[in-house]
Amino acid sequence: MRQPVVRCVEFVESVTDWMEGALTDDERVALEEHLTICPHCTEYLAQLRLSSAVLRAADRTTREAPPPEARQALLEAFRRRR
Amino acid sequence: MELVAPEAEETALVARLRAGDEAAFAFLVDRYYGTMLRVARNHVASAEAAADVVQETFLAVIEGVERFEARSSLRTWMFRILVNRAKTRGEREGRTRPFSSLGSGVDEEERAVDPDRFLAEGRWAGFWSAPPPAANVPEAHALAAEVGSQLLKVIETLPPAQRAVLELRDVEGLSAPEVCEMLDISEANQRVLLHRARSKARTALERYLGDPGGDH
Repeated sequence: MRQPVVRCVEFVESVTDWMEGALTDDERVALEEHLTICPHCTEYLAQLRLSSAVLRAADRTTREAPPPEARQALLEAFRRRR
Repeated sequence: MELVAPEAEETALVARLRAGDEAAFAFLVDRYYGTMLRVARNHVASAEAAADVVQETFLAVIEGVERFEARSSLRTWMFRILVNRAKTRGEREGRTRPFSSLGSGVDEEERAVDPDRFLAEGRWAGFWSAPPPAANVPEAHALAAEVGSQLLKVIETLPPAQRAVLELRDVEGLSAPEVCEMLDISEANQRVLLHRARSKARTALERYLGDPGGDH
């Protein structure tokens, strides 16, 4: 009987290399085979992708503000120039 | 939340900048200042020097937007100015860069998932014992409003190199080669940093999916 080549504990550490296309063909096939048998790692992958998508969609307005003096100086420079 | 297609958004933004629209320039500053600061910080000796470089970059944008020819995106153009200036300054300072080794960004022992969540023994050792909860995975945009700001907070707690990579890749949507070039790191380093950072973002998301509306 064939032993599984990739276990969950390895899947979660190799998944980024897989997504980035950095695995060898053998490694890639082993990882993809694992995905076909493991609903939990499939869920894990879905969450990983979702968190990236959320970050991409999470807007702009929620990010940190620049220091007020620096911001003010830049806006003044823009006003002088335009 | 802005859902305008980035290209259309950008053409309009360039036109507004040229027309002297201060709100457009303020948008640019608010949107990119923090990310620029972290990119610059990788090349120069101090936080103050990084802030100087960012300030100079925005001044160069004010001066140069008239000549900007849209052969690259506005963002790529701005970051190219930033990285060039930061590198020049860093070289003048004889700087050793903080991300040049993985030291600041990666703990060798750091795991994507708590090892206790896998079976330790038996035939199924290394398989999940406490798998991620199967959730009806919501649509990203819908979820972004609820959990997006929490994930951005998680980013703030990451080591600087991981934070820079995650911001550039997943928040800004830059490609791996672009990020390697900006941060002067190898492709392998970029992947390790991205892996650590994404693993942590996923853990935060899982906590939220397991307990939406709970105390995070």
